[in-house]
Amino acid sequence: MSNPVLENIRTRRVIREMTDEPVDPHHLEQILEAARWSPTGGNQRPNRFVVIDDPELQRLIRLVAPGMFQHAPILILICVDFAIFHHQLDPEDDPLYPIDVGKAAQTMALAAHSLGLSTGPVTSFNKAAVKKILNLPEQVIPCLFLCVGHKAPQTQFAMRGAQRIRWQDLCYRNRYETWDR
Amino acid sequence: MAKSSEKRLLSEDQAVELIALFLSSARLLISEPPAYGPLRLLTATERLSAMILDDASPTTKKLLQVCIDRIPHTYTLANEVKEYAAAMDELCDALGQCLVDRAKLQGGS
Ligand SMILES: Cc1cc2nc3c(=O)[nH]c(=O)nc-3n(C[C@H](O)[C@H](O)[C@H](O)COP(=O)(O)O)c2cc1C
Repeated sequence: MSNPVLENIRTRRVIREMTDEPVDPHHLEQILEAARWSPTGGNQRPNRFVVIDDPELQRLIRLVAPGMFQHAPILILICVDFAIFHHQLDPEDDPLYPIDVGKAAQTMALAAHSLGLSTGPVTSFNKAAVKKILNLPEQVIPCLFLCVGHKAPQTQFAMRGAQRIRWQDLCYRNRYETWDR
Repeated sequence: MAKSSEKRLLSEDQAVELIALFLSSARLLISEPPAYGPLRLLTATERLSAMILDDASPTTKKLLQVCIDRIPHTYTLANEVKEYAAAMDELCDALGQCLVDRAKLQGGS
């Protein structure tokens, strides 16, 4: 891979050990602005972003987030405001919002990586408890925390995959024909 | 009930922290990959070990230190059943030794 965008995509890793060095507020704003440019299904823009920099709130969130190994200086919670879907029968029937959340998360992760910051997504958290801790309105559903900070120098805890995967292992042509054939 | 001769090792805040971890995990694990179940139990073990390390007896301390030292590496093996089982067997061996030492069992070869 040769251009800086592709290189950025390839070199971003999920980081679970961070230092307590603060995140430059200007960088944080650039990451949030990047999320604003992330596309959404039907251009409905249901994502809401809550930045949590209060250490006590972060502590409480970690208590109910078994999947959060990071002690990150900044947490960005991506929520979905279900009030946006008021004209639809049930957004769960054909849900586009998880795709919107995923696109925003990856957009922010790549933006952060390009600024020399590290990120880790966390969805293993207790939604009901987080709603209470962060005083979220009833119709606002917490979906994904993006931990943002600086990578710690020590070895990172990363789940080893069962096997190494090449892109060709995941891709098919036309009528589900394997790529390597 | 704890025997009255044994001192308390956990504060109320620490107990609530563990309850939060257990309840949150019990809710989440319904829809998470099966390998996450053992991970959550290991997280709880690691946290509890760190909470009581300073005040535990020397015998228990040995086990707690093994948990604190080994569990972070064990996490990384969750997708590799054989290596994970071997790492867990080492932890369980330390556990068995701690139980034997605490019960002051005699004899055997
Ligand atoms: C939707 C989603 C949710 C995730 N939730 C968690 C989580 O709760 N805790 C965690 O440690 N990692 C979480 N991850 C990180 C994955 O485990 C990670 O993508 C995987 O380890 C690959 O890491 P890499 O990008 O560094 O190769 C999540 C990733 C995604 C895409």
